Amino acid sequence: MLTRQEQWIKWSLYAGVVAALTLLELLVLGDVRLFGVRFFLPPLFVGVIASMEGLRAGMVFGTVYGVLCDLTLVGTFPCVYTIAFVLAAFLCAAIAQSVLQPGVICSFAVTLLTFTVLNALNMLSLTLSDQAPFLPMLSIALRETLVSCLLLAAVHPVLMWLHKRFLL
Amino acid sequence: MRDFFSKHGIWILLTAAALAVTLSLLSYFSTTSSVLHNAAGVVSYPFRAAAQAVSGWVEDKQHYYRSYNDLIEENQALREEVAELRALSRQAELDRSENALLRELLDLREQRRDLVFESAKVLEHGSGNWTSTLTLNRGTNHGVAVKNVVVSSEGYLIGIVTEVGVNWCTVRTIVDTDTELGALLFRTGDVIIAEGELALMGENRLRAVYLPNDATLLIGDYVVTSGLGGYYPSDLVIGTVESVETDDNGFAQYAVLAPMVCFDDLTEVFIIKEFEIVE
Repeated sequence: MLTRQEQWIKWSLYAGVVAALTLLELLVLGDVRLFGVRFFLPPLFVGVIASMEGLRAGMVFGTVYGVLCDLTLVGTFPCVYTIAFVLAAFLCAAIAQSVLQPGVICSFAVTLLTFTVLNALNMLSLTLSDQAPFLPMLSIALRETLVSCLLLAAVHPVLMWLHKRFLL
Repeated sequence: MRDFFSKHGIWILLTAAALAVTLSLLSYFSTTSSVLHNAAGVVSYPFRAAAQAVSGWVEDKQHYYRSYNDLIEENQALREEVAELRALSRQAELDRSENALLRELLDLREQRRDLVFESAKVLEHGSGNWTSTLTLNRGTNHGVAVKNVVVSSEGYLIGIVTEVGVNWCTVRTIVDTDTELGALLFRTGDVIIAEGELALMGENRLRAVYLPNDATLLIGDYVVTSGLGGYYPSDLVIGTVESVETDDNGFAQYAVLAPMVCFDDLTEVFIIKEFEIVE
């Protein structure tokens, strides 16, 4: 069991890593489009961290990070990230506890899951407001998910290293 | 799992639900931006400005080393364009004199366009694939309001302000799926609607719909704002016709429009805070 101080250090380091990777992605891949879509990092952090840290910590992280994203990014509706990330964190942590052990395959699976939850909400929102037909939405969702999954090559090792440092 | 839910899960879910509802309600009832959004925008302002400064510097370096041959070709093309524009300018001067004389004879009011601009820097280009937005470093402190129009330094339409904080604002670009503008085909005067479409947004394109049956569109035709209804100034260039397509039903035609600006490259823009136009 980690002490309160160790918990603070661990989550501060997680926050620092998330901020640093976001900044790095902005600088290196900011305007880069692959298959017509941009890389999108936030779902990777939620999926991977929730799968490593478990249900409670994962869902708290999903809530806090979702609110932050809703306040700083523009979504298809005002609270899309909060809802999507809490739900995704719960599912990812449950999968990591009962089906897959945290690792590369698990990170890949939970990232796919997080994108599925987020993009399902995006598609639902745009369908209800009659702003886009189904096939173009599905196309964007698939391309965004696959392209962003490439960033797991950088995100997974860093977060896994950090997670293992605080394992007892 | 059951233990988890009985101990913590339900509280975390309730907290998340409460936060989501709060965010939605604040956003729905606000005419500028919600208190939380405003505070987050103000707090993140220095970080966004710093990140933009660094990425701008990196981009500058990349541009500096761009192929020399490309620049020579571009220079040659621009020289030819300048020559053509000079010829057009001479003709326009003659037309202007004739127009002024005819308006005087017909006793019409003098045409004028009074636009109040606020210059702004782009703090952030939207990072998602589902919306197309920009964040600017001007807000209510500078007189910016929701529905203000944003144009480039050349006067090309960029988008509409949708959310304003104290020192920041969010602009939905014209390729965003939320965009719907009254427009005119400049050459023929036909009234059409320009709207964003998800499938075209990634290619930095939008489309023109409700084309008249007898409309004869040419590739390169300019599409401008109609100004009908008085919400937006007229004659702002939205883009040019790139192709004419038939919709999925096979009945109606629509035109794919290419905006005059690349939104990813924008660093400085102008917000039209007020306007008065006499045609």
